Amino acid sequence: MNPARLTAALFALLLWAAPPAPVLAADRLTVDLSSDEVAITTGFTGTELLLFGVKDGPGDVVVVLLGPNRDAVVRRRERVAGVWVNGESVVFRGVPAYYHVASTRPIESIAPPEILAANRIAAGTLDLAANTQLPAAKRAPFRDGLIRNKTRQGLFGYHPGGVTVQGERLFRTTAVFPANVPTGPYRVNVYLFDRGKLLARQETTLIVRKHGLGASVFNFAHRQSILYGVIAIVVAVAAGWLAGVVFRS
Amino acid sequence: MQIYLPIAEVSVNVAVLLGLGGGVGFLSGLFGVGGGFLMTPLLIFIGIPPAVAVATEANQVVAASVSGALAHWRRRNVDVKMGLVLLAGGFVGSSLGVWLFTLLRGIGQIDFVISVAYVVFLGIIGVLMVAESVRAWQRQRNPAAPRRKLHQHYWVHGLPLKMRFRASKLYISALLPFSIGLFVGVLAAIMGVGGGFVMVPAMIYLLGMPTSIVVGTSLFQIVFVTANVTLLQAINNQTVDIILALFLLIGGVIGAQIGARFSARLRGEQLRILLGLIVLAVCVRVAWGLVASPDDLFALGVPGGRE
Repeated sequence: MNPARLTAALFALLLWAAPPAPVLAADRLTVDLSSDEVAITTGFTGTELLLFGVKDGPGDVVVVLLGPNRDAVVRRRERVAGVWVNGESVVFRGVPAYYHVASTRPIESIAPPEILAANRIAAGTLDLAANTQLPAAKRAPFRDGLIRNKTRQGLFGYHPGGVTVQGERLFRTTAVFPANVPTGPYRVNVYLFDRGKLLARQETTLIVRKHGLGASVFNFAHRQSILYGVIAIVVAVAAGWLAGVVFRS
Repeated sequence: MQIYLPIAEVSVNVAVLLGLGGGVGFLSGLFGVGGGFLMTPLLIFIGIPPAVAVATEANQVVAASVSGALAHWRRRNVDVKMGLVLLAGGFVGSSLGVWLFTLLRGIGQIDFVISVAYVVFLGIIGVLMVAESVRAWQRQRNPAAPRRKLHQHYWVHGLPLKMRFRASKLYISALLPFSIGLFVGVLAAIMGVGGGFVMVPAMIYLLGMPTSIVVGTSLFQIVFVTANVTLLQAINNQTVDIILALFLLIGGVIGAQIGARFSARLRGEQLRILLGLIVLAVCVRVAWGLVASPDDLFALGVPGGRE
């Protein structure tokens, strides 16, 4: 049996074995973005994308945007001899670099906490693993500090009422990307809930990348750092020399 | 107009960058100082990450000192032998400094160390400048006041490895300029400065060099030390932002020329008091950042010193 036929057979088997489908039917929910790319150009000061979609009936919509997972260090500032220094720190693994939740109503009235947590819907329930021996009670302030800092930078956010619905079926929301938005692949998860039950789930992706001159400079600085350093020096020497020549005459 | 700085990863107003470059350039032209010690804290105040501010400013100081060094070179105001000994120390010191910088960044203490270094050095230099100028001003009004000895001898003149520096008319131990170069090299790497504000007084008061060749020799070695810092920061930390450096340069070059023209019209001692007060103001502002209670007790850091 050739591989293609084997795959087809396996697929048939899977379909047959799958539970009677309608539980999470994707066709109950269709979404799209005004663009699937955020380009950080030289004049970039942040941007907005429009997310819109159709649902097949009543129910609440929750939109979750997740940036690429990164490690995050949270440090506690401590006062030593009158000055503030960085004290104890906790490293959290796999923190979404960007995390925004928008919904038609406050999420706690849309679904029970365990369903929200299972789908990583509330910032407070993000399963952040930490490399620390600290007991959970002492770790919590670091976690809260992380979420607070990220929120202040505009990278985390929760917008109850941020998804607006028109005529029961059409819905839309805007996703805001600040100037400091981290680059990488982003996931957009859209959930349809009705009376506390998850009816449908749709996932789409978008990418945030540096574009143009800025991207070239950044990549060059990281990939060929020796040459980059040499060029930085040559440019500076040339500029200084030129200034001297121009203003002497 | 906003511009996105690719290495600093922040968006800033072009007019602010040109204004900063121009303003600090004006002061450096007016007072004949490098300006790095003012520019780095100002960059941090406008939101550039400290590590990027320090490394980029080292790059800008290369440009700022090249034209000055060339001008002094043409007028033969450079003691090359002394410059090379200072430079040898400077290379060792700045390499050590960048290594220390990378280490401190990894353990999350670099911002604190930069701030403390600024408070200490700006404080000392500012106070000395104001005091010295006030004394000189009073002396002008009252010529009968006692004058300082021209040349003094300290214990340092007894050190081994003596060397003759013809241009400086000195016969002193090479260890002395080497250690001064080393110390200033460490400062250059950590603070993002040329270090002229430490180097020049050290050359006059510790080495006893003639003032006519002090500035040229200092600039000569600053060019190479800051170039070394730029290269090592680019390799170890990838924190040199060429775009940021270019905008500061454009403003700085123009500002310095205007400043140099203004300086001819103002009186020296009052100028020095003014510069001393500016230095002290920046010092107080940095110190305030250290003692004021932060808005949030928790802050985000850079994992492992690298991104």
